[in-house]
Amino acid sequence: MLLTKAGSSARWRCSSRHWMLILLTALVAVSVVSLLIGAGSVGPRQVLGLISGSDHAEARFIVWELRAPRTLIGIAVGVALGVAGALLQAVSRNPLAEPGLLGVSAGAAFAVSLALVLGASAATLRIPVAQLGALIGCVCVLSVARLRGVGNDPVRLVLAGAAFSGLLGSLSALMLLYDQRAADEIRFWVVGSLAGRRLDDLWAVLPSLLVAGAGVVLIARPLAALALGERAASGLGHRPGLIRWLAVGCVALLVGAATAIAGPIAFVGLVVPFVARAIAGPDIRRTLWFCLPVGPLIVLTADIISRVVVAPSELPLGVLTALCGAPVLIAVVRAKRLPML
Amino acid sequence: MKNTAKQSLSGVALPHTSTAYHEEASAQAVAAPQGYWRAALPRYGVSVLLEKRALVVNIGLSAALLAACVLYLSLGSVTLSPNAVVASLVGRGDSMTTFMVQQLRLPRLIAACFTGAAFALAGVLMQTLARNRLATPGIIGIDNGATAFAVASIVGLGVGIAPPAMALAGATTAAVLTFGLASGSGTQGYRFIVAGIGVGAVFGAVTQLMLARVAIDTANAAYPWTVGSLNARPASAVQLLGIGLALGLVAALALARSLTLLRFKDAIASGLGTAVKVGRLQVLLLSVVLTALAVAVAGPVGLVALIGPEIARSLSSARHVPILAATLAGALVMVLADLAGRTLFAPIEIPVGVVTAVVGGPWLLWILMRPQRSRP
Amino acid sequence: MRHTLLQRGLLGMLISGLLVGTAQARTLETAYGDVEVVDHPERVVTLYEGALDAALAAGVTPVGAVTTRGGDNVAEYVTDYLHANELEHPEIVGVVREINIEAVLAQQPDLILAAAQLPEEQYQLLSQIAPTVVPHTQPLAADNWEAEARLFGQALNQEEAIEEAMAAVDLRAAELAAAIAAADVGGTAFLARWMPSGPMVMSTQLIATGLLEKVGLDVQDAGLIKADSAHSDVLSLENLSQVDGDWLFLATLNDDGQAALESAKQSAAFNRLNVVQSERVVPVNGQLWSSANGPLAAQAILDDIENALLP
Repeated sequence: MLLTKAGSSARWRCSSRHWMLILLTALVAVSVVSLLIGAGSVGPRQVLGLISGSDHAEARFIVWELRAPRTLIGIAVGVALGVAGALLQAVSRNPLAEPGLLGVSAGAAFAVSLALVLGASAATLRIPVAQLGALIGCVCVLSVARLRGVGNDPVRLVLAGAAFSGLLGSLSALMLLYDQRAADEIRFWVVGSLAGRRLDDLWAVLPSLLVAGAGVVLIARPLAALALGERAASGLGHRPGLIRWLAVGCVALLVGAATAIAGPIAFVGLVVPFVARAIAGPDIRRTLWFCLPVGPLIVLTADIISRVVVAPSELPLGVLTALCGAPVLIAVVRAKRLPML
Repeated sequence: MKNTAKQSLSGVALPHTSTAYHEEASAQAVAAPQGYWRAALPRYGVSVLLEKRALVVNIGLSAALLAACVLYLSLGSVTLSPNAVVASLVGRGDSMTTFMVQQLRLPRLIAACFTGAAFALAGVLMQTLARNRLATPGIIGIDNGATAFAVASIVGLGVGIAPPAMALAGATTAAVLTFGLASGSGTQGYRFIVAGIGVGAVFGAVTQLMLARVAIDTANAAYPWTVGSLNARPASAVQLLGIGLALGLVAALALARSLTLLRFKDAIASGLGTAVKVGRLQVLLLSVVLTALAVAVAGPVGLVALIGPEIARSLSSARHVPILAATLAGALVMVLADLAGRTLFAPIEIPVGVVTAVVGGPWLLWILMRPQRSRP
Repeated sequence: MRHTLLQRGLLGMLISGLLVGTAQARTLETAYGDVEVVDHPERVVTLYEGALDAALAAGVTPVGAVTTRGGDNVAEYVTDYLHANELEHPEIVGVVREINIEAVLAQQPDLILAAAQLPEEQYQLLSQIAPTVVPHTQPLAADNWEAEARLFGQALNQEEAIEEAMAAVDLRAAELAAAIAAADVGGTAFLARWMPSGPMVMSTQLIATGLLEKVGLDVQDAGLIKADSAHSDVLSLENLSQVDGDWLFLATLNDDGQAALESAKQSAAFNRLNVVQSERVVPVNGQLWSSANGPLAAQAILDDIENALLP
């Protein structure tokens, strides 16, 4: 598994490239399927008919106004959550660190619920509020683990996160009791979904996604150095404390943005880096690259399933990812030994 | 080393008849170790070492619990004087107060005491087992399993079994699943807990799915099972819990020694003569059963499993696992929380699960932020 | 000697009490068996929107009531009615899902009117406080509210007042039906609750949809609703055209129908509907249209229909 870099770097690069190609092809294929299939009566035949020039207004509308935005948003959410998961795992050096498990998503969702109860309704306000909530959630949970020295106790972080999410869930329940008028909207915020999102939502979060992306590019190298240990990183001229805080900031931006559009979507941040690491090996830079296609691939697949299993209704995406993600979590801990990050 | 371990049994009293101490016990002049009182019955050759601090803490908690109970029976939509409460308890008040105390407040008080005690006891067991102060049966999915089954029963998938029975079944199912999935790694360490978190997440998702897909009235009927409430709970489940709690408490006190040792690393515990694996399994089983019975009464009020033991630990010495103190503290917390939920926003009742979350939340954050002590 | 006198006196009082009791009590058939109620209940507590409505329609102002679903007080139309008739506002004794039994007891009621869904544990306690009337109208049906109102009317010993109130509803509905037919604004209709991710189609077996039928609209549910469920699952936006009829009545769980419409109009799929483009979407108060029940609610719903269809 842990091939030494010197010995086989060429072989790695080659198979990496193959893998990337395969994943990108799969992503394109899934995106196309996402345009073809839905909960409605417009199926692949009608959609393909559009290409050959048929004038099916209903199909045109559903593909371009409903499925295409949804697919794009799914890609954005998948990238954001996947990268956030990989970053969080690298920072905490804990393969179980995941925005959902650590309560970062819960923090974002709770902040939005609170804002709704306090009377905010403007869609634009939601994004910064969610990001702030995600940041607070991140800092809360990571400060528990005190960032340093948790390498030997991955579960402490997860426990802290579970306790934190549970707490926020109860507080949301209290708000439901306190303010029945916001109840509908809050109930919607505690289960993630891609249904009914508009492209405007995506444009609104795009700047923060880009900022976070730039941040990730900036800290990818230092993070990789950090994986060698605190001293090694300092010796290479990096500042471990600063890198960690930057990474946490990126995670908050990414998770906040994803939660602001789609609500809390559990386990994506766990499953995506898990798969990416299995392909890319332990190097965080390569893992981050592979998160880019793997994240959307998983989110879109889950979303397509969520559309068709209970048609003409839809299953909330957050429920589906939890159902599929939890077994992966268990598989990770059942593995002979946890990969050390 | 072995002897020290024996002394530091938790709780008030444990008959002490080991051969090593037998002769000493019969000798009058033997002094108790520092911080202990020795109560000896020389005629029977039995002596008991009572840790002073534990004794004081347990008596203090009992007194506080008693005071809270009186307060609980007095306050409400109609405030009664303690005299009136006592009068109606012995059946000498007027019919309205008697009904209010005997039929409304007393059964609920008993349910609160029992569930609080059971949750906290289960919590302190689980925390000792996991060597982590944040581990609760709720976090490893037992609460979620119970809720999912109870909700299933309410939304009409339960083949006609009452929600408390289904909650019991759900808690057991979740525990069995967690056991099964973590098998191979045993009940040891984090794998077990993380498997439990995964199981809990699945059940949580299933619950949300069911609630999202039923009529709003049915969702309302299921509401107490999703947050935890003590309003008009079925008496049969409370009785079952009472029996379970009594047996569980005895069993926990009997397991006290191996519990104290479980806090050490496995190698040390084995070296001290504990069958680590067996001990673990017993403790875990006890914790699961207690939680299941309590959830069947009150729904998921999991934070009590965190708050109760935490209070007990902060009061007791770090020498041993404060089993009795945690149990008492849990009951106290539950009684006070439900009292607050009943009276603060009257006539609207706040479910007890929400109260414990709101009160326990900041506390939890404080625990999380504070640098951790070396042992749970 | 004194002792026996006292005993005799007590016995006499007991017997006379029983006689008076049997003379005055009436027996009602409820979901939990036969229940005896006093002849002229004076302190009535209602634990259900429909019971509060029926009591008011029967001319009895309850001393205690629960808040309506999705609100923190009784429904707006009830408050308006109380205000217009200068009646005292009942004490709140909890919410539908958490009835505060002590608060009920504190009102010292002589009659409790509850919902068909009242759980058995709560019934056991409540029935010790006062005779508790629980209608057995479990399978959802559009005329359930009539049966419930009749039962509550019997319990209150005001059958005639209730019959009058229901006859008034029927008459009003018939008049409206004639007017709507004359104006030729009828057709198919849907009642939907707008959720942020899409609409829920409401059952045709509710009081509101039943009244829409009575005034001559053809209420539909697109075959989306499982038996005995009040509404469908949230419909995918892709299938929005399934609720495209001549009229769409749009509500949320809370009272702000306009807000529901605003949030629906954020969605392109919604704006595409014929019913939206012909401006025949009627925002309605969800408290009234999906939670309320009873003769007064029926009148209020008919008001809404009249205002929307015959402006």
